[in-house]
Amino acid sequence: MIKHYIKIAFRNLAQQKVLTGINISGLSIGIACFSLFLLYAVHEFSYDRFHQNADRLYRVVEWWEGKDRAPGGSGSVCTPVGPALKKDFPDVEYAVRMKGNGCLARIKDNIFHTSITFADKDFFDIFSFPLLYGNTQTALQDPRHIVLTKENALQLFGTTNVVGKTLELKTDSAFEPFTISGVAENIPANSSVNFNILCNFEHIANTPMVQGSNNDWNMTIGLGAFVQLKQGSRLASEHKRLALFRQKYLPNEKQDDVQASFRLQPIRDIHMNPQIEGGANPGNSWILITIAAAVLIIACINFTTLAIGRSAGRAKEIGVRKVMGSQRKQLIGQFLAESFVLSVLSAVIGLLLTYVLLPLFNQLADRQLSFSFSRFPELIWLLTGLTVLVGLLAGSYPALVLSAFKPVEVLKRKVRVGGSNLFTRSLVTLQFVLSIGLIVSTIIILQQIAFIRSKNIGFNKENIVMINTGRVDSKKIYPLYKQVIESNTGILSITAGEMGLGAGEGQMGRGYKNHMGEKTAIIEYPGDYNFLNTMGMQLIAGRNFNPSLASDSINAVIVNEAVVQDVLGTTIQNALGRQLFGAKDSSNPKTIIGVSRNFNFEDLTHKVRPQLFYRPSNLEPSRLFVLLQAGDPATKLTLLSNTWKKLVPDAPFEYSFMDEKFDNFYKSEERWSAIVGWAGGISIFLACLGLFGLAALAAVNRTKEFGIRKVMGATVTQMAALLSKDFIKLIAVALVIAAPLAWYFMNDWLQAYAWRINITWWVFALTGLFTMLVAVTTVSFQAVKAALANPVKSLKNE
Amino acid sequence: MIKIRDLEKIYRTEEVETVALNKISIDVKEGEFVAIMGPSGCGKSTLLNILGLLDDPDNGSFLFNNIEVARFNERKRAELRKHNIGFVFQSFNLIDELTVFENVELPLIYTGVKSGDRKKRVEDVLDKMQIMHRRNHYPQQLSGGQQQRVAVARAVVNNPKLILADEPTGNLDSSNGNEVMTLLTDLNEQGTTIIMVTHSEHDARYSHRIIRMLDGQTVLENIMV
Repeated sequence: MIKHYIKIAFRNLAQQKVLTGINISGLSIGIACFSLFLLYAVHEFSYDRFHQNADRLYRVVEWWEGKDRAPGGSGSVCTPVGPALKKDFPDVEYAVRMKGNGCLARIKDNIFHTSITFADKDFFDIFSFPLLYGNTQTALQDPRHIVLTKENALQLFGTTNVVGKTLELKTDSAFEPFTISGVAENIPANSSVNFNILCNFEHIANTPMVQGSNNDWNMTIGLGAFVQLKQGSRLASEHKRLALFRQKYLPNEKQDDVQASFRLQPIRDIHMNPQIEGGANPGNSWILITIAAAVLIIACINFTTLAIGRSAGRAKEIGVRKVMGSQRKQLIGQFLAESFVLSVLSAVIGLLLTYVLLPLFNQLADRQLSFSFSRFPELIWLLTGLTVLVGLLAGSYPALVLSAFKPVEVLKRKVRVGGSNLFTRSLVTLQFVLSIGLIVSTIIILQQIAFIRSKNIGFNKENIVMINTGRVDSKKIYPLYKQVIESNTGILSITAGEMGLGAGEGQMGRGYKNHMGEKTAIIEYPGDYNFLNTMGMQLIAGRNFNPSLASDSINAVIVNEAVVQDVLGTTIQNALGRQLFGAKDSSNPKTIIGVSRNFNFEDLTHKVRPQLFYRPSNLEPSRLFVLLQAGDPATKLTLLSNTWKKLVPDAPFEYSFMDEKFDNFYKSEERWSAIVGWAGGISIFLACLGLFGLAALAAVNRTKEFGIRKVMGATVTQMAALLSKDFIKLIAVALVIAAPLAWYFMNDWLQAYAWRINITWWVFALTGLFTMLVAVTTVSFQAVKAALANPVKSLKNE
Repeated sequence: MIKIRDLEKIYRTEEVETVALNKISIDVKEGEFVAIMGPSGCGKSTLLNILGLLDDPDNGSFLFNNIEVARFNERKRAELRKHNIGFVFQSFNLIDELTVFENVELPLIYTGVKSGDRKKRVEDVLDKMQIMHRRNHYPQQLSGGQQQRVAVARAVVNNPKLILADEPTGNLDSSNGNEVMTLLTDLNEQGTTIIMVTHSEHDARYSHRIIRMLDGQTVLENIMV
């Protein structure tokens, strides 16, 4: 029987080439789209699961909660916490500290900028990073030994087996030789723990950078700590034991407004927990899956509506089969077999399409996804389940409805289930609701990005080059570099800061007492005298720093308007001369000498927070800022680079443009708009594909009517309008439903931005008009074809 | 074989009530060849559909082989139908997507006959209907007469006790029509009961008895000699 069903299914598909084409292409695209998004989600949720002992691996986090703040944490912990956990708790099997740093690598005369991670020697006991060459037990025994990844070995040496070779690294003030003791397989893309070059933590334990933190429980130096618990340990959920542990080492810690604690975060939770710094929002993955499901549903609806549309043509077959003794369940089986054949075919094509589109999608989503069943075994059952689900979704309605036809009625052609019943109309409307919703969302995201880009953020981010001086003796280099550069035409100004600005540059803050005596954080920016001038930041009261006044580099600060309003609660004029007292130590207050206009130093999801500028007497710049004259940046960059190479031959010239640094804040929004935009485009395409098929069927079902109308004198345009009218009505209804829904969701999305656009009516009008136009063009093609047919023939056929 | 008493079938729409069968009573014995005649709308086809268990009556009794089937549900009707009744339609009603062989095979599939057995039985009946050489053709590739021969083959392949034919020659020229009538007569001579609805007096003469209907009732019975 099954053989019979499948045979008939294939024959039906072959006979109805256009409809089969529409169904298979639609479902394939839907499945491809869904598979890509599914792969993305599976990848996101698969982070760190590959470690053999993943269920016992935890990251130590510093956790805060209080009445006025959302609970949250950071993976950056104090240096002694890892070893102390191992010492105090017998259920901690291993504890490994990790600290990443930028460094320079030298091979012969070539210098590369790379990064190095220092970790305790048990690193390979807890993390499952297999070594290609070398032994995990001995690789990190010596503080002068390093492990490279395969990719890094290839990049530096052009070969992978480099065990025993020497690599010169500058991790501190000078280049030192390190022996390569191992080469690790490349770190999987779904790993939160990463390294390029791995070295024993002991190597830095006694350097000035770390030494001071070794026994200081109040100091963090951007170090992470991981523990592996013994089988059966429940330490991670025993908050009381961890609280006592904290109390032991931080006996004087006040737990007033904000309670701080140590927590153990499961390693598999790191990537997808937005409560802890650096964690992604799992909501994004769900949104993607929802969009993909919407596209897939649109494709399934095509199948269903076309099957219903074709039912008139298949009625005779159903009638005959029933007369011949077929039971309803056998007919249901037959229709489901047809949809399964189609869904399997589509799944195969869809997966091929996924494979072809993966590089493009990776670019769009900024991921390195690979379609690997061995790495993501769950994909096998997810995709099999998807194929079965698509078969069921697409085939169940036709199966249930068509199989219920009464044989006498269908054989006498009394049954007319055309493309115009309520169910079909609802499905087509749903397709367009989803498509219109996605298109409106794309337009709004694009508008918001354009708005953010064009917003005056309060300083001049154009034509500013930011040079990285983090790895050089900047105190010495900066004045020399400044002297050489400033005399050139085309260079308007040069300044320096101890921090960068823009995406990925980090911030530094300190607690101050506000006018109510409470602790308030102020972002601090240590920079040179001319920092505000060079960056085009506007001073609205008081004066700028004066190099001839020694006191200006001791306690003078320039604050932004937010400090005046939120911290001091006073007016700009009254702020001048006022003092700011530290929340912990009030012995060395800062005096306000000027007030600058607020500028957005963070992305525009944030309001401008209180910020102050000061000029440290011992300025150690990590970034130089060069303001160029507008036009021809290439020549000026060459000048900057050549001068750098002359002054600092042992460090690469690393620079970025300030405007790009700020645009980078919105990379994820751009990615989202591209993904949602593609999904919107694909869904409109699929919906129109279905519409094309439905219009064709409607035209066939109305052949006789069209013939009679033509004989009665109707024109081609009138008949085209007649056929189009029904579909246009559906799109109008879809617009009415989609508009408030899209408005609601996008308005909610916009709430995340402190600065945002207002959603305007024309976005909906434009989308509606566009959808209408595309749909009418699609339907008109069939309408005109039907209207041009010879009426005599159509009447005779009927 | 068939005994119907006071059978009624009424079609209702919002405004009109049409009595298709008005307390009709008929008996058909096993091995009989009965023709039903009458003007359009007299209820012939409705009667045939009820006899074929494709439709159910509103009132009255219908004994099929002494079993009351008037109140059978769809599943029971389908079960009884597929083992006992074969159908021949005016418009052939072959499935366009299936070949001649597959069309004839269809009733055997639904009665659960095994594949090897099916092949033999289909080939036998195609041979008998002299259409074996067309076994792999699709219905559209055949003439009307050939299509009706396939339909007859399909109707008899399950060896039904009863064949119901609804104007079997209505779409055929006289020579093809005669051929089909000869086939039906042969089947009847081999013991199959046949009830045929027809407009053609010529075809009706092949039967043993003609039942004439008007407005949902029998008005006359002619015994053929």
